[in-house]
Amino acid sequence: MIRYLCPALLGIAMLLGSAGCGKGHGTFLPVDEHTAVFWDRQDTQSASLMRELVQAFNTQSGRMPIRWEHAGGYTEIFRKVSAGIQAGLLPAMAVSYESMTSEYIAAGAAVPLERWIHDPEIGLSEKDLSDFFPAALQSNRYPAHGNRMYSFPLAKSVLVMYCNREIMRCAGVERPPETWKAFLEACRTVRRVTGKPAFATVPDCSTFSGMVFSMGGEVYDGQRLQYDGPESLAMLELLETMVRDNLLFMASPGTFDDNIALVQGDAAFVLRSSSSRAYLLRMAGEHGTELLDIAPIPQKDPNRPATVLFGPNVTIFAVPELQQAVAWCFTRWFTEPEQAARWAVATGYIPVRRSTLAHPLVREAWAQWPPNRVPYDCMSFARPEPNVDGWQQVRALVERALAEVMSGTRTARDAAEWLQQEGTRALERAHRAGVGNGI
Amino acid sequence: MNITRSAYGFPLPLPIRLLRKNAGIFLLYVALMGGAWLFCWPFLWMLSTSLETFQEAMAPGLGIWPASWHWENYVETWRSTSFPRYFLNSFVVAGTVAVAVTVSAALAGYALVFLRFPGRRLAFLVALGAMMVPFEAVFIPNFVLIARLGWYNTFAALIVPWCANGFSIFLMRQAFLMIPADYYEAARLDGCGAVRFLFRVALPLVRPTLSVTAVLAFLGSYNALLWPLIVTADGSRRVVQVGLTVFTTESGVQLHLLMCAATIVMLPSVLLFLLAQRAVSETMLVSGVKG
Repeated sequence: MIRYLCPALLGIAMLLGSAGCGKGHGTFLPVDEHTAVFWDRQDTQSASLMRELVQAFNTQSGRMPIRWEHAGGYTEIFRKVSAGIQAGLLPAMAVSYESMTSEYIAAGAAVPLERWIHDPEIGLSEKDLSDFFPAALQSNRYPAHGNRMYSFPLAKSVLVMYCNREIMRCAGVERPPETWKAFLEACRTVRRVTGKPAFATVPDCSTFSGMVFSMGGEVYDGQRLQYDGPESLAMLELLETMVRDNLLFMASPGTFDDNIALVQGDAAFVLRSSSSRAYLLRMAGEHGTELLDIAPIPQKDPNRPATVLFGPNVTIFAVPELQQAVAWCFTRWFTEPEQAARWAVATGYIPVRRSTLAHPLVREAWAQWPPNRVPYDCMSFARPEPNVDGWQQVRALVERALAEVMSGTRTARDAAEWLQQEGTRALERAHRAGVGNGI
Repeated sequence: MNITRSAYGFPLPLPIRLLRKNAGIFLLYVALMGGAWLFCWPFLWMLSTSLETFQEAMAPGLGIWPASWHWENYVETWRSTSFPRYFLNSFVVAGTVAVAVTVSAALAGYALVFLRFPGRRLAFLVALGAMMVPFEAVFIPNFVLIARLGWYNTFAALIVPWCANGFSIFLMRQAFLMIPADYYEAARLDGCGAVRFLFRVALPLVRPTLSVTAVLAFLGSYNALLWPLIVTADGSRRVVQVGLTVFTTESGVQLHLLMCAATIVMLPSVLLFLLAQRAVSETMLVSGVKG
């Protein structure tokens, strides 16, 4: 009897346990009833500034205070929010990328922000809204979810090209290349003269999206992926050529070895987020501003430039309304020129409102080191990556395909076809899951 | 081979005679020193990097001698985050977990070996099965449970889920299996109860395994990162490993400070291992031998 009873009891316990892990839809309990908790990822230095800003907001708001919490990196925050969704316990807001927000929407945890944006008391006026860079707002609209805004930008960054002036000087490359053709030539010259691989990069989906945009292409046209398109193929072939000619140094995914190679003089060019500026300058030491340069990424046609816009947003969760309102007020306040300028100058992120560019702090930063201005100039032509359900899976596939091309184990054409096929499948799977969830 | 004379019959100098006599041991020591150096290198590299400037630390290479010594890195690291509080929390959590795991594993292991009850084998299989479920598979259900119990951001969330584990039960069971069954039967004949036998006879005989169970539980809890990060909200409950994450930025790592923090965080583990080294070695040697 006991022999059958024990497994039966175990089975019942597991069944009850799994029933308790159902998806939560509706209002979630806040992790703290008395403060609006903000899960963020800032490191030591930016965290100090963020704490100061939060303190300033709390002092002047007179409402429920914001409580800022360091919750690890993006991966940990995503895990923590995912676990919180299952448990029905969430903060008021968390920093997130579009692909993360898509998952939160599917779970019914993210709230659409139109209600707060257009709120007569704490919302944004039409004049305020027109002050935002359109791309910064656009990247927070989710076409698969009624094109509503489920996240809001705090600050953004763009893909730029960092150059090592010393290597360029040695190789006789006078200025950062403006076209991909000139870029390939410059890399060949650097290789010939210095014997160094010229271009250091990591297999990264956002970087590749920026490269495709700069060729005048798209990675997703709203209906289907475009990795088999001519622009995507051209970029993969460029990477293939660079590998064949020993012009490319592939850093391991997830590392920053490309940045190190640039600063150590082992590479002339690196494509990275504009928010890497402060870190690179610090790594380069006291002569950093002489050693490094920032330029827009090479283009197919410099008269019609494009790059990728990235940088985190914040998602406000379906917690009680008062907490949502406080989270929104903080978000709005943070994007105002006074705060945004402080944040931008200290961290290298770009403010999302145009009026911030006239702030004395920003002007002073440009005057101190003119390349500081380049990312701001790129904002006018930067475009976000798609924010469709399943993009997180596509990102992983792109990175795998890039790593294979960069390591010479797959041809560009083969990688493009594979990526198109597998990426389409991933999006279809995500779409089916979304339909299954009643979206 | 004559180790005191050369091939031509001349007497050899003393050092060469000693070398020839102990050639095997000499080679063994050289190999062991090489191995020890190989294992020590990452540790020395960590110490060295913790004393370098940011630029020097980021330079490629595995050198272990800083160009200049920057002890102030340790001050900066210590001030970067609430390390004193994190250390206190870590010791409270890891210490409690170590005690709880040792008690639960000793009781479970003892019951599985000496007591006869229905479902004994099944219970052991469940304990073994628990060892094989990866943390990633259970952290969401665990978090749900913690949240519903109202334990989010409490010490209970950091301690209770880790108070028993399959590996420790397995380790203690193996240790108890080495005690001859005759001891138990003889004690029972003399009127000794099961609890008395456990405390008077069995536990003293498996003391090294008990120490190892406690050390492993302590280290497992002390080194945990993801769970403490997920179930805590602020510095009042956070542990030292979480403190390390603040040195990783979106654009790179502050390697010199991270190595300082790693050195500070590692010290208690090293001290604990040095103190429990003998017990650990003994258990490693005997745990594969069934009595």
